[in-house]
Amino acid sequence: MLPPIILDAGYFMPNRLFFNNLGTILLFAVVGTLWNTFSIGLSLWGLGQAGLFNLSFQLPLLQSLLFSALISAVDPVAVLAVFEEIHVNEVLYIVVFGESLLNDAVTVVLYHMFEEYAKMGADQVEVTEIFKGIASFPVVALGGTLIGIIWGFLTGFITRFTNHVRVIEPIFIFVMAYLAYLCAETFHMSGILAITFCGITMKNYVEANISHKSHTTVKYAMKMLSSSSETIIFMFLGVSTIHDKHNWNWSFVIATVVFCTVYRIIGTIVLSALANKFRLHKLGRVDQFVMSYGGLRGAVAFALVLLIKLDSVDCQDDMRRMFVTTTIAVIYFTVFVQGITIKPLVQWLKVKRAHKRKPTMNERIHERLFDHTMAVVESLMGQVGHYHLRDKFKQFDNTYIRPCLIRDLKGAEPKILETFSKLTMRDAMDMMNRNPTGQSGKLHPDSVAAMLRSNMNGQGGSSGNLEQLDQSTWNIDLQELEYNLSRKDLSDAKIHHLLAEELYKPYRRQHRRLSYSRHAVHEKDLTTEQPVNYKTQMNFKRMVSEKALKSGKTRRTGAPNTSKNDGGHGSSSNGYVAYGEEYDNPVFTMSDERLQGKSSESHDGDGGIYFIAGGGSRVSPARRMTLRDDDDTGSPTKMERELPWKREDLEEASIRQNEFPAWSANKEYLAYNSPTNTYLGGLDRNQPRMPTVIGLFKRDSISSTPGSRRGSIQSIHYHNNRLESPRHSIGSDGSGGPSGVADTDNVILSSHNTPQMMSRRGSTFVALPIPEVAEETEKDLLEAEKKDGGHGRSAIKAVASTAEANKIEEVENSDDENGNPTDIPAPQQDNNNPAVENWSSSDNKSNQTHTKL
Amino acid sequence: MSLDSPISYQAYIGQQYIQHLISCERSKMGSRPSLLLRDEELAEIQKETGFSANQIERLYSRFTALDKSSTGALSREDFLRIPELAINPLGERIVNAFFRHSDEDRVNFRQFVRVLAHFRPVKKHKENRYNSREGKLQFAFKLYDLDDDDRISRDELMAVLQMMVGENI
Repeated sequence: MLPPIILDAGYFMPNRLFFNNLGTILLFAVVGTLWNTFSIGLSLWGLGQAGLFNLSFQLPLLQSLLFSALISAVDPVAVLAVFEEIHVNEVLYIVVFGESLLNDAVTVVLYHMFEEYAKMGADQVEVTEIFKGIASFPVVALGGTLIGIIWGFLTGFITRFTNHVRVIEPIFIFVMAYLAYLCAETFHMSGILAITFCGITMKNYVEANISHKSHTTVKYAMKMLSSSSETIIFMFLGVSTIHDKHNWNWSFVIATVVFCTVYRIIGTIVLSALANKFRLHKLGRVDQFVMSYGGLRGAVAFALVLLIKLDSVDCQDDMRRMFVTTTIAVIYFTVFVQGITIKPLVQWLKVKRAHKRKPTMNERIHERLFDHTMAVVESLMGQVGHYHLRDKFKQFDNTYIRPCLIRDLKGAEPKILETFSKLTMRDAMDMMNRNPTGQSGKLHPDSVAAMLRSNMNGQGGSSGNLEQLDQSTWNIDLQELEYNLSRKDLSDAKIHHLLAEELYKPYRRQHRRLSYSRHAVHEKDLTTEQPVNYKTQMNFKRMVSEKALKSGKTRRTGAPNTSKNDGGHGSSSNGYVAYGEEYDNPVFTMSDERLQGKSSESHDGDGGIYFIAGGGSRVSPARRMTLRDDDDTGSPTKMERELPWKREDLEEASIRQNEFPAWSANKEYLAYNSPTNTYLGGLDRNQPRMPTVIGLFKRDSISSTPGSRRGSIQSIHYHNNRLESPRHSIGSDGSGGPSGVADTDNVILSSHNTPQMMSRRGSTFVALPIPEVAEETEKDLLEAEKKDGGHGRSAIKAVASTAEANKIEEVENSDDENGNPTDIPAPQQDNNNPAVENWSSSDNKSNQTHTKL
Repeated sequence: MSLDSPISYQAYIGQQYIQHLISCERSKMGSRPSLLLRDEELAEIQKETGFSANQIERLYSRFTALDKSSTGALSREDFLRIPELAINPLGERIVNAFFRHSDEDRVNFRQFVRVLAHFRPVKKHKENRYNSREGKLQFAFKLYDLDDDDRISRDELMAVLQMMVGENI
């Protein structure tokens, strides 16, 4: 019954804290327990000799030492139970808890030692025996630890191969841990230590290997098992209280209790003073008090006392019963009296409590940074210090151990990536929540037109969504779009790209939940089998589609203008609505000649609708497309020039576009949403989520933002009036559908024009909302980033200055501005604000994400 | 100590560590190293940075050990000769921190100690401008702010992130 509890404790042990405080913990566990044992034993024996106990029998030294050995052990079960309640600060928790775990080795050794001596008889104990006993302690402790670690590695290794049998992964974990315990016990080593260290080592490797579901299963099962075991143990204690025949000896009991408490306090004070010489975080008086008060005895002591056999220990029946009774009494006293009162005491003494929150991205990064810094300073000083050791270990771990034990080794900083994925997940959820029409939950219909219609139907009631589904901001112009990437966007893209690349797989794991709601449970959802490499998929698809294209089978909509395609771009982008098989596989097909207006036909083999944007340099980073530059020209393609990750050397200012796109003079043209916005605005939200047209619509509302405005200035060469070519908008929030609209829908759309939309139509932008954007941005950022202090501020400044820069630039570029002012009264403000807010909050998300970085 | 802000907590914890190491080393050391510092200088340094005499001696012996060319000042190569420093992603930044206040490319002992003084633990009422919380945070800030414009730009943060995430790949 003990293994589940200990396993739970070991598995969820905070590694960093534990190892930082290991010295203190060991000090208390080993020295403290020894001190307690001997002091209590000797005192009890002394009192026994003095005849204060009114015993009918003699209390020999060995027996009293035996008794004190088992009674001085602080019990992990009880400590865990109590400390979970009171939530003291982590250091205190880890010291007491660590001590309770590690003193098992000492207790077991002492117990067995005294048992052996008692068996042999007090007269025959010689010095060699004592030395043997002392020598057995390191063997037991280290042996147990080693066994635990070996089993931990084995478990990690096994889980590496369990990707086909996901369902039984949790079983492996439990079984292996229990085997570690058994193995250690068989060899008479400390089983508790074995299982503790097994849990600790196992966790690091297993977490990276098992699926999300298994992880959840393990977590809950472990908690469940440990809770029930704990309950059973205490129930057993209670039952046997009633059941056994007791030998209650008042004085003995009281003496034991008193001695336990007193010696523990003394021990704590002395050892803390000793430890504080070497500790950074000193243990203050209050801490010491809590530590001594929190030394609860529990089930381990009880189990050990029951093991005392009459014959072997030369212990009379009375004596044994007395021991049992006293043990139970002590346990009751510590658990009930101390356990119950510790909570109010902790509050009264204002012990520092734990802050239960996950570290933010900021904290994680800075933590790592400081680890490195300290390692450097240590090496500067020529010391082999703590950080140095930790660094060395991490390096060794990463080079040798992790590759063996972990299936798909991603990055070396799993924690940072984990935080990143949580952040993006949260952003994604926020995005979803902001779209209350629930359209996102629907499966994508087959055609844009149907989608639009359904959108419009759903739109009536939710005015709040108007801006999100602001169809007037769709870009009907399907021609290629050269969006003018702002510097910020570029760096956004870079950051995102960097992290997301690292995060490739776990990313998807987290997002599986989203995909569940989107489409039927797919086999893929049940595995963490990563559909892996976008690049190769992309390449493959590209090749396939090229072939198909060449045979003229694929659907091409719109004849894009090719004037922007300087000697052939890498590829044009296809967005496709809704998706069946994979998460997002837009097929990027290429080249100009294909785009020259082949007639549209049926789908490509992929099962999506492909809309080819003219010449797009709209490549979603999410798709990780490898742009092909098999164009004949040797110069870097426009795509390459613009794509962030291909742009390493061309870091300078983003490419300026022509000022007025040709269609801007065309007032019939609905304002479209620049790809910058759709593509870069939600970079951080870029997920392997199913792209839907709806997602597009949501994104498209953000055209009132600087980024989008900037995009709107771009030269869109609208050579082809065929509104049938829907424009591909790169799924900024992961949805990759076209934001364009079929021309038939133009009519429908126009009915939705509000003044706001009017003003945006064909216009470059409105200068007005920019300050709001900046404010919104700033405000949101400020709210969100309270903790970040200076970093957040500087990021805010960066954003604000970009926004201002955008504003200025756009003001210059506006030609419709004068025509618009009357259209931009209050209603626009209202309309804009939510839209703006959408954008800014979505941008904020990206900002937040990055700021949090 | 108030440990509200996480980064300053880290800074505090981390940067206290060095002091503890210094005192550990001091206790390990047997005899005094030969001291080429004059006493007045020692006293001055002591007052300025708050190190004790023993600690300053220890630092001095380390300084001379690093200074292979015996010029009385350290150059960047001397720093980078330390293997752990060379492979550490932050090594260079920290080395820059030493050179920030010196004009030529050399760091003399005073400057060396000044920078290390940032890492001393803070004792109440005995703070000086180096190891005060403010001073520590300044130092930490400078680690991020590469171009010394007193601001951490996005790119700088990005560089840090890149370093953290990409370093072991």
